[in-house]
Amino acid sequence: MKEFFSTENHFDTLILEESDLLTTILLGVLGAKLFIWYIGFHELVYLANKPEEGDDMIEMHDVWKVYSNGVEALRGVNVSVGHGEFVYIVGPSGAGKSSFIKLMYREEKPTHGIVLINDVNVKRVRDWKIPHVRRKIGVVFQDFKLLPSMSAYENVAFAMEAIEVPKRKIKPRVEEVLELVGLNDRMHALPSQLSGGEQQRVAIARAIVNNPTFIIADEPTGNLDPENSWDIMYLLEEINNRGTTVVMATHNKEIVNTLRQRVIAIEQGVIVRDEEGGEYGYED
Amino acid sequence: MKIDTLVRHLREAYRGLRRNTWMSFAAVSAVSVTLLIFGVFLVLAFNISYMAKEVDKTVGIMVELNSDLTADQKEEVLNQIKGNKMTADATLIPKEDALREFKELLGDSGNDILAGLDSEDENPLPDTIKVIPNDIDQFEALTEDLKKYPEEQVLGVDNGGNLAKSVLDYSGLVQNIMLGFGLVLAIMAAFLISNTIKLTIIARKREIEIQRLVGASNWFIRWPFFIEGATMGMLGSISPILITIVLYWSGYNMLNPANEPITIMKLMPVTELSLYVSGTILLMGVLIGIWGSIISVRRFLKI
Repeated sequence: MKEFFSTENHFDTLILEESDLLTTILLGVLGAKLFIWYIGFHELVYLANKPEEGDDMIEMHDVWKVYSNGVEALRGVNVSVGHGEFVYIVGPSGAGKSSFIKLMYREEKPTHGIVLINDVNVKRVRDWKIPHVRRKIGVVFQDFKLLPSMSAYENVAFAMEAIEVPKRKIKPRVEEVLELVGLNDRMHALPSQLSGGEQQRVAIARAIVNNPTFIIADEPTGNLDPENSWDIMYLLEEINNRGTTVVMATHNKEIVNTLRQRVIAIEQGVIVRDEEGGEYGYED
Repeated sequence: MKIDTLVRHLREAYRGLRRNTWMSFAAVSAVSVTLLIFGVFLVLAFNISYMAKEVDKTVGIMVELNSDLTADQKEEVLNQIKGNKMTADATLIPKEDALREFKELLGDSGNDILAGLDSEDENPLPDTIKVIPNDIDQFEALTEDLKKYPEEQVLGVDNGGNLAKSVLDYSGLVQNIMLGFGLVLAIMAAFLISNTIKLTIIARKREIEIQRLVGASNWFIRWPFFIEGATMGMLGSISPILITIVLYWSGYNMLNPANEPITIMKLMPVTELSLYVSGTILLMGVLIGIWGSIISVRRFLKI
């Protein structure tokens, strides 16, 4: 009974617990600060020793992408893609290809490590500068992402209007790229009136209309029949021949094994293979 | 901003409004109700400050002179009062003038009642001196000073009580309640606007995605939503402006009828008030609209 009513002991434990908590928090903060400092230091050392090649368009150094649910999509990726290259990104589903691609157009930020796009560190770049980074990148998707209420012409012009290109410059340039992708006679058709292959060609026209330095294509042939797929591939090859870098994630074994280019294979968040003129290497 | 871009933003904002007609209508109505409350508040606030100034200008202490005084003695009292440091101005109002004013006040209906009072001897009104204080704060002190005159000279001093002052005090409370009420409504209106903007953001999701991808600047993407919000605020301010002005105009005509010199309350002229009130309501509407847009753009627009 006596012990039950004595409060002194309770206080003692309470004070002890509080100070423990405080120490833990302090140590935690200190640890976090050290970690941040270490990363910062690491980056500085890397940037100071970075080889002076200058024509690297995309560079990743020890890149990790960990999502908030704990999934480690990329685990220490090192890669560099140079000016005018054509690169296939291959690997099983869920291997980290999408995260890899998203880092390239700054849809995602790396959790750790450095991603340089045209010498801009995408992790450090200020929010208002991101659009300027993206203007140098054209992105093509599996599902085309065309605006259904706009004609082919309007869809392409939309990309120029968005970056406030003067009106008089829009028409000739849009017509030029639509001709390049072979759609100058279909420019007033709505996406619903175009075939899948034609829609993807509109999407490519939109991706190149602002003269990007590289094109990122996320399974551009994924929704197309073989014939249309080949048309799209010839088009991307043509664009690459004109000097634009192309990075393309794909599951299309036939294409990779026929149009031989550099192949980067990703498995479980790690680059397992990176070879010039490589093969697809999977059975799906 | 380039003209092309501006035209484009305006067109987008218009499309947004048209797309969610009913939500826009609801948001605009909420803004209208809010602004109507603010409108009434503004009418009160403007008039109270106007009246306070008018009261300051015209407030006077009436000093009732003993009718036994001779003209010279009256003049002497007047000069003494004028000599007081707190006096700004003092004027002698002879009883004949007071009677005439009284008759004017009563108008035609007073003719019968006052019929017998036309002759000089039967005028029951005293001669008075109207004293204007330098400063409204010295009102009470000056009244006390004037009360010190002996009864042979001054029969009474009347400062009209504190009617004006108590009206102003009460209206302060009413104003605060209305302001609080208005603020709550403003928050609700802003949320309704933000909800409408949210619908536009959802409807334009794909367009925004493409714009981001091709490198549209953040402001290029945001502008149409701000314009849409501001437009809703502006549309919402039209009816309260009209209602406030019309109501004030009729209220003014009722309380300050034309051709009648004496009025219960001297209100702010309609044109002057309309200008202030429309300007303020419009500004408030636009601000509520932009506020609503900011809420939505910050929460739903991923740049």
